[in-house]
Amino acid sequence: MTEQTLKTLDRARAARQWHPVATSDDLRMRHVYHGQILGRELAVWRADDGHVNVWENRCLHRGVRLSIGINDGHELACQYHGWRYANRTAGCTYIPAHPADAPARTICNNTYPATERYGLVWTGEAPEGTAPDAPELQHAGNHLLVLRSLPVNAPLHLTAGHLADYTFYRSDHTRPATQVSTHLRRAGEFQVAVDWTDENGTSALVFFLQPTDNHRTSVHAVLATSKPPDNPLQRLKDHNFAMSLLRDRIEQAARQHPTPAAFTVASPRVSEALATLPKLAATGRKAPLRVVVKSIRDVATEIKAFELISVDTQLPTFQPGAHIDVHLANAQVRQYSLTNAPGQTDRYIIAVKREADGNGGSAFLHQSVRVGDTLAISLPRNNFPLRRDAVNTLLIAGGIGITPLLAMAQTLKSADHPFHLHYFVQDQSHAAFPQLLSTFGTHISMHTGLSPEQTRTTLANTLEGYKPASHVYLCGPAAMLSAARDLAYRMNWPDEAIHFEFFKNTTDVTTDQAFTVELARSGLTLTVESGQTLLHTLRTNGVELPSSCEQGACGTCRVGVLDGEPLHQDVYLSDAEHQRNDCLMTCVSRARSEKLVLDI
Amino acid sequence: MITLYDYELSGNCYKIRLLLSILGIKYHSHTVEFYPAAEHKAPWFRQINPLGQLPVLQDDDYTLCDSQAIMVYLASRYDSGNSWYPRDDPQRLGSVSRWLAFADSITNSASSARLVEGFFYDFDAVACRAEAHRLFRILDEHLWFNAKSGHHWIVTGDSPTIADIACFPYIMLSEEGSISRQDYPAIRRWSDHVKRIPGFTVMPGIFPAGPAQ
Amino acid sequence: MSLCNDPVIRNQWHVICALEDISPRNTHTTLLGESVSFAANTDTTGARAWRTDAPDTSLPVTCAYGYLWTCLGTADKPLFALPEYAEADRRNVCAATVGVRVSAPRAVENFLDMGHFPYVHTGILGEQPHTEVREYDVTVEESTNDVIATRCRFYQPMAAAGADGGMLVEYIYRVPHPYCSVLYKSCPSDESRLDVIALFVQPVTEETIRAHALVSVIDENSTDLSIRMFQQTIFGQDKPILENQFPKRLPLDPRAETPIRADKSAIVYRRWLSDLGITYGVIPAAA
Repeated sequence: MTEQTLKTLDRARAARQWHPVATSDDLRMRHVYHGQILGRELAVWRADDGHVNVWENRCLHRGVRLSIGINDGHELACQYHGWRYANRTAGCTYIPAHPADAPARTICNNTYPATERYGLVWTGEAPEGTAPDAPELQHAGNHLLVLRSLPVNAPLHLTAGHLADYTFYRSDHTRPATQVSTHLRRAGEFQVAVDWTDENGTSALVFFLQPTDNHRTSVHAVLATSKPPDNPLQRLKDHNFAMSLLRDRIEQAARQHPTPAAFTVASPRVSEALATLPKLAATGRKAPLRVVVKSIRDVATEIKAFELISVDTQLPTFQPGAHIDVHLANAQVRQYSLTNAPGQTDRYIIAVKREADGNGGSAFLHQSVRVGDTLAISLPRNNFPLRRDAVNTLLIAGGIGITPLLAMAQTLKSADHPFHLHYFVQDQSHAAFPQLLSTFGTHISMHTGLSPEQTRTTLANTLEGYKPASHVYLCGPAAMLSAARDLAYRMNWPDEAIHFEFFKNTTDVTTDQAFTVELARSGLTLTVESGQTLLHTLRTNGVELPSSCEQGACGTCRVGVLDGEPLHQDVYLSDAEHQRNDCLMTCVSRARSEKLVLDI
Repeated sequence: MITLYDYELSGNCYKIRLLLSILGIKYHSHTVEFYPAAEHKAPWFRQINPLGQLPVLQDDDYTLCDSQAIMVYLASRYDSGNSWYPRDDPQRLGSVSRWLAFADSITNSASSARLVEGFFYDFDAVACRAEAHRLFRILDEHLWFNAKSGHHWIVTGDSPTIADIACFPYIMLSEEGSISRQDYPAIRRWSDHVKRIPGFTVMPGIFPAGPAQ
Repeated sequence: MSLCNDPVIRNQWHVICALEDISPRNTHTTLLGESVSFAANTDTTGARAWRTDAPDTSLPVTCAYGYLWTCLGTADKPLFALPEYAEADRRNVCAATVGVRVSAPRAVENFLDMGHFPYVHTGILGEQPHTEVREYDVTVEESTNDVIATRCRFYQPMAAAGADGGMLVEYIYRVPHPYCSVLYKSCPSDESRLDVIALFVQPVTEETIRAHALVSVIDENSTDLSIRMFQQTIFGQDKPILENQFPKRLPLDPRAETPIRADKSAIVYRRWLSDLGITYGVIPAAA
């Protein structure tokens, strides 16, 4: 034992192993557990879906411990600035200081692998293989009882050495003393197993040692019995008493030696991209993700919901309002909003309406895509971010335009923010996700089978009486959307309080006429041929611009116009904005004049 | 009309504010500047409480000092359900008294360490921290076994008692005296439960918890 | 306890005590890891300070803004100017001195930060859902080399007594000293003037401080007690956040933490500390 006490922990080797950090029972009731392995502090929390998260115990914004944060069952919020991080991904979903922005960068906290075994939660810095086996606990039919874990102020090897001498004491003197014998079965660096025998027969007891720090150890213990213990609480008490006495002896022994210095643990650096303030990223259309269709179900007449899960890695973080591009095997690209609830990060759920006159995208998804198929999708993008600093939020959906608003409504409901959802549909059977809708209770009004005039009147009633710090989010068919926007403007809703997303451009977009563009800042003059888009011409000449829907609906590819008269063809800008002629959408806009001068 | 002689950063005063808030009792707060003016030692205040300690409660013409005594009074007088101070259950009542005494020990150790670090008092911080850790180990074990039997509170039973409120503040403020609660998971889970009691309110140094599932 | 060998910090004036708390009796405090004693002069006004282990020598002292300041190196510059303090109609209150386990620059950065108001000072300096930090400007002023943040606006509930609901309050922040910051905010009783709240941080060690506050306001209604209690509440709310921040020293490597636009003043403050060559209380960026 003397030799063992002098042995020190090989941190580099231990970093490649799995270690227990808590018992499964420690993570109940939306608790955030303050854990530590090899000197590294960890915030350990279980989401309502059962997933165990083991994260660096540091918000990467300003370094505040996340273990003092709030677990709302889906996300963990930092106490300092309210930044929210998603279950599983640890990706940031919301920065309250900038409520109008979708977090522009992939901000993600450091995570560590987690698994549960023998009633304990296991993790490690870079563990290899699986959590360790304890053969004594493996027998089929064994009943496992997780004892109370004890933190010990002593180095790991000293603690392990004493555990090999574990003797069972009776704590209850009202019972007759019975013969208790213990027998060491094996003693490893991080595991010690003993047999102990009493009037109930022989049971196996395995100690798992958690290297909390160089000078601190936690002892977890699991008891395996061949039949269910008669009085489990008494057994827990007996062992707790015995282990507490042993702890006193270990700590006394530890005081005979100099205390080893705590490990110095480096905080991981954030990526280059996170270190500076973001610039607008210039990205084309890409489909870097591969997802598998896990289920397809009918959620309304003509509407199917597709549940998409990742092939291998964790799906990226999304925010309410976000959409993905789905690249279809027929070479088409379509945008679909994510309908997910906050924290629902193990899948994406999109809803697709079969468009009778559509150009094939929805028909392809409805007819050709099967459960088990792989789809190529883009990273989630958000042109429709949800502010969460509103005094009241109105959500107005028409038809399939409900999809981004479902994600928003679930987010607002989960955070208990005031909101009301107005859903305009042809009839009840066309209302998507009826079960989910029913959970909104008094926060939803259904408007079925209204004529265009009736719709206008209802919208006017809904938008009446604008109050400061209210926001309205609109998504639906073009006609309804323009009507609602016009009404809102007329009822004195300020521009910045009206948020909208078209899910398609119903304008007949022409590409007939060729025209010339001069790029004022790039010093280029280009010709846009008939049949080609301005966006395409710019890209082929090396001018990278962000884009998303590429049908004049989302506003991503907007650029400023310095001279000339654009032929707009988009549905994103309002009439007033169209008339100003000071910007256009490069994906659909062309020129009425012979030449346009653009501010790029 | 209830008047509380109160100091915002005092855990003992917070016990009373917390119980008043939970019981939904309106009161007037009279600030006594404990730090740095040491107004609780001033002659005018020692006429109210010769011990020169906060808090003091005045309920019309009745004056009472000592935070635990004030809680016994408030719960006995204003808690119609008799749950915060279970007068009808001798065993639970005995346990409440036991843990009120324990809470005083926490004050003498954990609170003293906090006064050294935050307010520059001249106490033996090392000894205070060691004693607080000894007490926390005892409480953590107690709460762990209570939870195993399905009870979330310090005194066995379905609802919290003034013993929970008595122990809560200086445990939650212990880190201001460099007493980490990392090694006391049962205490940390119990504190989540206390924070979810309807009517719970915070004080500087104590954070709210998230909603229950 | 490691001594400070950062010449910039050694040669600064550092706050050690409120003048009103100094008595003729010797009192000890710690500054930059060294024990310093001080006492009020019995024959003249003011006070003297000395290294506790060298009672026969004297340290330079300055009495300014309600506090006693000293310097362990060579005080080659006068203490920064705070002209408002001398205005005759102002109430100057030494509002709080609180010990916190954090580095001085972390405390200053927290003082410059508005984004935490709704979460840490709930119902006082901010309130959900009014969480937005609007665009503001930060510069390093050429003549004084002070960091200045202007056009800072934040929603404050109950901004004025009797006001129905909250309003946007405008702030100006100034950092005239590596460990001190001054906040100017609109004065409810006189629109043409600004109230002043100053944070003077005493670096006890690299990772522990005494935070001192000066409140200088045009306000005939509030009592000194209510001003002090308000400031103690604010400090009391910041303390557990600061003590849960890691690392305790402020990292100057841009890749240590993740700034957002709301943190512009912190970005400039960190760069400014780097440019001054400060090493005490910070983790310098690798060269």
